[in-house]
Amino acid sequence: MAKIELIDVAHEYQIGSGDYAVKDINITWNDGVSSALLGPSGCGKTTLLKIISGLLRPSEGTVLLDGEDVTGLSPQERNVAQVFQFPVVYETLSVFDNLAFPLRNRGANKQEVRERVHEIAEMLDLQDLLKKGASSLGAAEKQRISLGRGIVRKDTTAVLFDEPLTVIDPHMKWHLRRKLKELHARLGLTMVYVTHDQHEALTFAEQVTVMDVGEALQTGSPRALHTRPAAPFVGYFIGSPGMNLFDATLQDDGVMVGDLKLSYPSETLQGLGGKKLQVGIRPEFIEVRSDPDDGAIKSTVEAVNLTGSSLILDLAGKGLDFKVRVMEDADVNEGDTLYATFPDERVILYADGRAVKSTLKEAA
Amino acid sequence: MGLSLKDIHKVYEGNSKLAGLDMEVEDGTFLSIIAPTGTGKTTLMRIIAGIEAPTSGQIVVDGQDVTGVHVRDRNVAMVYQQFVNYPSLNVFENIASPLRVSKQKYSKKEITERVERVAEQLRITEFLQRLPQELSGGQQQRVSIARAIVKDARIILLDEPLGNLDYKLREDLRLELKNLAAERNAIFIYATPEPIDALTMANHAAILHDGQITQYGPVREVYRKPNHIKSGEYFSDPPMNFLPCRIENGQAVVTPELKVPLSAMKADVSAGDYVLGIRPHHLYIRIGRESQLDEKISLTAELVLAEIVGSDTTMHLSHDALELTALSRDLQDRSLDEELTVYFDPEQFHIFAADSGELVSSAAAVRR
Repeated sequence: MAKIELIDVAHEYQIGSGDYAVKDINITWNDGVSSALLGPSGCGKTTLLKIISGLLRPSEGTVLLDGEDVTGLSPQERNVAQVFQFPVVYETLSVFDNLAFPLRNRGANKQEVRERVHEIAEMLDLQDLLKKGASSLGAAEKQRISLGRGIVRKDTTAVLFDEPLTVIDPHMKWHLRRKLKELHARLGLTMVYVTHDQHEALTFAEQVTVMDVGEALQTGSPRALHTRPAAPFVGYFIGSPGMNLFDATLQDDGVMVGDLKLSYPSETLQGLGGKKLQVGIRPEFIEVRSDPDDGAIKSTVEAVNLTGSSLILDLAGKGLDFKVRVMEDADVNEGDTLYATFPDERVILYADGRAVKSTLKEAA
Repeated sequence: MGLSLKDIHKVYEGNSKLAGLDMEVEDGTFLSIIAPTGTGKTTLMRIIAGIEAPTSGQIVVDGQDVTGVHVRDRNVAMVYQQFVNYPSLNVFENIASPLRVSKQKYSKKEITERVERVAEQLRITEFLQRLPQELSGGQQQRVSIARAIVKDARIILLDEPLGNLDYKLREDLRLELKNLAAERNAIFIYATPEPIDALTMANHAAILHDGQITQYGPVREVYRKPNHIKSGEYFSDPPMNFLPCRIENGQAVVTPELKVPLSAMKADVSAGDYVLGIRPHHLYIRIGRESQLDEKISLTAELVLAEIVGSDTTMHLSHDALELTALSRDLQDRSLDEELTVYFDPEQFHIFAADSGELVSSAAAVRR
């Protein structure tokens, strides 16, 4: 088990090119944390994972495992296990032998091997398959074997997952996610999970880092990322649909978005001149009602989309186009008029891509 | 006008993949075929395209039997999950290729116009001179889609084309595909295991099960009134809950604790063994605003896992052998192994026959 720290880590695949795959990375994973690196393709999350595992030596910065500098050590020397997108199993071996492989490699005796393999198989519901050949199994079972191989050695310090559920069907994903959570609770291993899928990241991890173009934009709990995205990208990337973002301009004692004036205390507005301003609010935080309401935005319903358990409404009002999420059984139709309210504490002001602190708003 | 499949059979090495499949797809349909991996979706798409021949059966397009017609002579385009582009041709030439090999001759000017128009629609204009491998996965898949629609094919088949793409990118492309389809006089058929694809893009949904189309209809109708247990299972995420029960004396007995009066379910069903299906968002962890709920229609269950996503909480619960999933539209900070009372909205139960799996009764109203 281990605490992992990245200090001032940056990486250029071509040294001196100035083209950084990741930069300014300072993240700590405490011992036993379940965490995720979340971002779109090409954001640098896999590069970061390789730096943690030792597959890649960063061109700048330090990697610490339990306070010890391991920047130059190989994956084997770090005892870090990895689970990849596509299951890595020996097709010609039985499930038992697949699981036993890392132990036998380290010279464990027969009894040790048997005991540990059965223990791991039990955790992953593989007991009944131990005698089967790996080639006869489906993707979800193979991925459980890959996972089992990763954690079978007792000296494993951390488990790194690179998009492990990609090839798994939607219905099996629920089960595997649950299995991962159970394993994490039982083994207390430090786990880092790389994915582009917010759902997987938010359900698996207690600590999520959102990345974009090589930068770690925000590290925090799923709840913090949802309620207070530190950057517009975080607001957009997390949530389905993501945060509504409006361009804003300074005006007297507030900012204008469309024809809507939002008033802010003067301390908040100080120093914002000349910066790119945006205002964000999540679709699920906007309140709508069908009766006129003081100060509410009179809006027209432009579209109603069912997404399963919710309806997503496209609304237009006060020169703004925005999305609102309501219950699936709400009685709303295209062309209806609704009155929308942006609750003060849900509105976030961004300047040059960063959330402005103390965005408390006086009555608009 | 449209596509009709009549009694399609496909047998591979003695295994029946498609077994008497019938389907009528009208003009202007964006159809989503929903089924898990390995159920024959791709086989069906290949047969519609003409890449594979059915063992028996008939494929009719606009009144014309095309069963024996070669793929090159059918007015069909297909996009695969793995983007397929010519690596040595630039994006422009990739998109232009179906026009160049087409039996119908296109002038140089026409080719340029068409390629530029679809490139603009798919927002890849700036990459026209690049090679495919210089593009990201999402951009490459846009090129594949552009190639499929450039010829204005009569039928456009999309076999899980977004499967390999980023979550967020999928959201964007779903919207684009929906708009592209709306502008075209073509039938779009989109095969996927993901319910959200069907809900956000398609106007019709078909459930493929046991080699047949077991349900076909407007998306919301199929979603709100699954005609079979498998429709409910395939077309739900998080998964629909299934509660085996015995119906007698005017009530469905799920457990000694949970008995649901038929009157509460607005159902009139004869005695026997059934399965109640209910979606996770119709299970409630507390009775508050939903005061119309009957507190007796409830069950004590143990919380196995709580997953918070955004402002929703998905709770996995267990009661003896029964596994339940509840979706709560708020944040539930709860400790695992906690005993919770789960309330069911009785009007949201779908009653399926235990033996055949067919829908027997459902109070769900299909709106919109």
